[in-house]
Amino acid sequence: MFSRVLIANRGEIAVRVARTLRRLGIESVAVYSDADADAPHVRAADRAVRLGPAPAAESYLNVERVVAAAVASGAEAVHPGYGFLSERADFVRACAAAGIAFVGPSPEAMALLGDKIAAKAAAEAAGVPVVPGTDSDPARPALTDAEIVDWAAGQQLPLLLKAAAGGGGKGMRVVRSLDELPEALTAARREASGAFGDDRLLVERYLERSRHIEVQIVGDAHGGAIHLGERECSLQRRHQKVIEEAPSPVVDVALRARMGEAACALARAAGYAGAGTVELIAEHDVPSSFYFLEVNARLQVEHPVTELVTGVDLVELQLRVAAGEPLGLAQEDVTLRGHAVEARVYAEDPANGFLPSTGRIVAYREPHGDGIRVDSGVAEGSEVTSSYDPMLAKVIAHGPDRAAALAGVDRALRDLRVVGPTTNAPYLRALLARPEVREAALDTELIERLGEAIAVPAADPALAGLAVAALLGSPRSDDPWDSLDGWRLGGVRAPARMRLDGADGEVSADAPSVGVRLVPGGLGTEGEGGVARVVEVYPDGEAVWLVDDGVPSRWAVAVDRAGARSAGGSLDAPMPGTVIDVRTEPGATVAEGDTLVVLESMKMELAIQAPADGVVADVFVATGDRVAQSQPLVALAEGGVRDGVGISDTDPRTSEVPA
Amino acid sequence: MSTVLHTHARPGTPEFEANVEAHAALVADLHARQAQAALGGGEKARTRHTSRGKLLPRERVDRLADPGSPFLELSPLAAHDIYDGAAPGAGVVAGIARVHGREVIVVANDATVKGGTYYPLTVKKHLRAQRAALENRLPCVYLVDSGGAFLPMQDEVFPDREHFGRIFFNQANMSAQGIPQIAAVMGSCTAGGAYVPAMSDETVIVRNQGTIFLGGPPLVKAATGEEVTAEELGGGELHAKTSGVVDHLAEDDDHALRIVRSIVGTLPSKPDAPWERKPAEPPTVDEATLYGAVPPDSKTPYDPREIVARIADGSRFHEFKAEYGTTVVTGFAHVHGHPVGIVANQGILFSESSLKAAHFVELCDQRGIPLLFLQNITGFMVGREYEAGGIAKDGAKLVAAVSTTRVPKLTVIVGGSFGAGNYGMCGRAYDPRFLWTWPNARISVMGGEQAATVMTEVGQPEVGAQLKEQYERQGHPYYATARLWDDGVIDPLDTRRVVGLALGACANAPLAPRATPVFRM
Repeated sequence: MFSRVLIANRGEIAVRVARTLRRLGIESVAVYSDADADAPHVRAADRAVRLGPAPAAESYLNVERVVAAAVASGAEAVHPGYGFLSERADFVRACAAAGIAFVGPSPEAMALLGDKIAAKAAAEAAGVPVVPGTDSDPARPALTDAEIVDWAAGQQLPLLLKAAAGGGGKGMRVVRSLDELPEALTAARREASGAFGDDRLLVERYLERSRHIEVQIVGDAHGGAIHLGERECSLQRRHQKVIEEAPSPVVDVALRARMGEAACALARAAGYAGAGTVELIAEHDVPSSFYFLEVNARLQVEHPVTELVTGVDLVELQLRVAAGEPLGLAQEDVTLRGHAVEARVYAEDPANGFLPSTGRIVAYREPHGDGIRVDSGVAEGSEVTSSYDPMLAKVIAHGPDRAAALAGVDRALRDLRVVGPTTNAPYLRALLARPEVREAALDTELIERLGEAIAVPAADPALAGLAVAALLGSPRSDDPWDSLDGWRLGGVRAPARMRLDGADGEVSADAPSVGVRLVPGGLGTEGEGGVARVVEVYPDGEAVWLVDDGVPSRWAVAVDRAGARSAGGSLDAPMPGTVIDVRTEPGATVAEGDTLVVLESMKMELAIQAPADGVVADVFVATGDRVAQSQPLVALAEGGVRDGVGISDTDPRTSEVPA
Repeated sequence: MSTVLHTHARPGTPEFEANVEAHAALVADLHARQAQAALGGGEKARTRHTSRGKLLPRERVDRLADPGSPFLELSPLAAHDIYDGAAPGAGVVAGIARVHGREVIVVANDATVKGGTYYPLTVKKHLRAQRAALENRLPCVYLVDSGGAFLPMQDEVFPDREHFGRIFFNQANMSAQGIPQIAAVMGSCTAGGAYVPAMSDETVIVRNQGTIFLGGPPLVKAATGEEVTAEELGGGELHAKTSGVVDHLAEDDDHALRIVRSIVGTLPSKPDAPWERKPAEPPTVDEATLYGAVPPDSKTPYDPREIVARIADGSRFHEFKAEYGTTVVTGFAHVHGHPVGIVANQGILFSESSLKAAHFVELCDQRGIPLLFLQNITGFMVGREYEAGGIAKDGAKLVAAVSTTRVPKLTVIVGGSFGAGNYGMCGRAYDPRFLWTWPNARISVMGGEQAATVMTEVGQPEVGAQLKEQYERQGHPYYATARLWDDGVIDPLDTRRVVGLALGACANAPLAPRATPVFRM
């Protein structure tokens, strides 16, 4: 076994690998970019080596620097995690050249299985059913656009374009009509090239409403290969797995054996040493008819569900295999116990098109309890940036059966506290609550089909009042002028009122006059029917975060912004002069700062600009007119913007002009 | 030495419970009247006001003030039962508010009361608020929404020294002394009223709502035949862009109040307090038992230390001359952390008690400690022996000391306020910074019965009977507060808080150098 291993990754997977290394008494070496100098994965390791600046190309994706770090730190092996360099054969070769073991398959096996085209051919050869697609002859993998178009012409639609290298949905395109194909090819190549530096594509029949079921395999350098059962990852959003579970609710013992044997046959045929995943797709209602999808020649994001149901530490197995040890585990030693469900927590905003959400994590707390596992790479104070993958944590629950595991992961998501960047945790809970999910009626298009039916409960409107109470806090001193109870003569109280910037924009609210009290960590409040609850409060500079039923919201006292004023009224000549240009006309939509009229006065040119976004109601002057001081030049319609709230239907930047 | 006071009041006894009942009934009546007055004009006037997007004056004050902060209102029952009840609160809300951490005087016209026009008592209340600003060096914020003088009563509003014009005189002189004058025009601001914003250091107006002109459209039409709308004649756009009468143009009431807050935020910090405020502590004697401990009838004697024990921090009292001149109780305490010298009556004033109180006032004057008078006094002792003993000159010493002391004085009339006792105990004429009355108090030159007896003695019993009725009516706290003889009738249980807030306001003004009159020895 190795005595020192470098983890060529960041985030939760680096932390997770370090955990096993620690348990096995192996020294761990982390690598980091400048953005991650204080990241949890650095703290989780025994030592750490800087790679370079934040961009991945200059740090985690830079083969030369990672190998140099391994050499410099005296590591005997490199664990690549997933993503980054984990499936780069050139990296594996560079490690070998530097005399460092790579925790993963050989470059040959990787080249064979990591390449989707070659893998498909190998699978077919090993007797694994494959989806009809472009010729899977690895000898000529680089299909031209024309070849793909030709092949597609005779096929049953829809089709799926995939990047030959890599996965994760990048470079994937579903093509439902042949007209879309050329554009899809361009986009897919661009994405594939950007994500993997390799724009090779393949195309195959796209199975609608299929299930994604994958088999975990581990092979050793001595020809041994076992499988550790399957995972079902049918809950995907735009080809990105969202919730995974093991075992699949629709795979029985016989089918599991059939799938597992097929996967092991492929592994053996490829001489695969290490942990890998054979991804299959199955008809959603006939899971026994399955097809080979691809092999992921690395540890999968969702490997914990397998670990929980098998009790096997996959990273430990990887390390043993990489060290040349035999598996030490026969197929019959692998038994499945209970059910595990994993939910991926991303820094993204489901209410805003799942756009990535960035920022500092103000408060962070992980759930714990029987059967709960959290793999995470962030901590309080972490800065979530757009440089890396937005996945913050994986919340995994293990229970005696599927219902227990689902309930466990739901509660864990509620108890997970990520305050700062918006996360998809409430969305995940809404998804878990869907009957289709509870009844395991899953397919890879379910999430897309459900769309907005995956409804996150609306925030309690009383939160704004609680935010006032939280922002108000406690009196600054015992001076009665500092008291905050709104004291008035006459036995009455004036509630504290504030204008707030909340999640849904500006709102004015009164602090509740009764039923709320400051308690450690938050506000104790009595809801309907006297049911008490605690809304957690986290200060964040001038703002506060409230967490109600696990959902954070940020509140701050609203500020007045410069330029935020009405566009209504007239624009008058500031000086007497001559109009030398009129650049607008009645009915025109103008943006703040647009020049509307140009005057020449006292040998100077004066640009008369729109004071705010708005619509021109009238223009009173024409080029060549002489105007007196204060003479109206242009009238702007009432409305426009105020207090930073735009009126989108008059905003040229957001509205589309009908043709 | 400083000792912790205890109480002799015994909850559960018939006396105690009767006291509680009597005070509670008086306070309930007070609060009901204040709630009624706080509504301002009638339902219709309020609806008309708010339907224009305008805030009611109390809402304006609430939004001007720091969220959750207290508002020490002045004379909420001004003009109570006067003008046939047509001017609740005298049509203006005035008091001390916390804005941006600063105590400021706010004067907010109530346009729901006869268009916010100035009755005689409106003028008096406005001037009273300005005096509080001047004495305590508090910035002034005028929330203007007024049609100017109430024309039917012009003789009581316009010509005299303490009439309408004095408002602008005060603005100029306060500005000259560095006391900021800030106005927000949130409605009409007509004729003389136009000078409130014009005389201010910095002024805000609400677009399409505030107007400023010397003569309104009807007057202009009558004078020159010119037809012009109020907005054209003196609206926000005009004054912000053309005339320069105002400095800031606001979109609505709320925006205007935010601008005023921002203006207050630009003011220099307030000066250091002239005395040190220590950490406050609640009284050890339960404040809530005040009603039961104090007989509501001023004719029933009681120990004023029962009040001190319920308003002083930790119920601690360093009593001065406890054994001498025992009809007045003097001593040092803290209220909400502020040091105070307390002078409280325990019977009528004799020479000894007058001298003791005068001595104590001089002590406070020398040490720069504010004075708190707990007034419950029927007068100075009379009779040959006392006149011969020079009670007049001893009383005069107290009156002289109270008149000339440089330290802030606060007076709370907790019982009777009769005759020259009112003078020695810092009645309204002696410029206490603030003066409040308890609902059970009575104030007149002498008691009604006493007056009747005097008139009977001089052979006019019918006049005596009439005087008794008149004195009792005029001595009532509502009668007094309606005429601004005080700054308000307060719930006795609010005394500690009110005194604490007032001392905080007083601490904005530095102390003058000591100046001592000739004391008749």
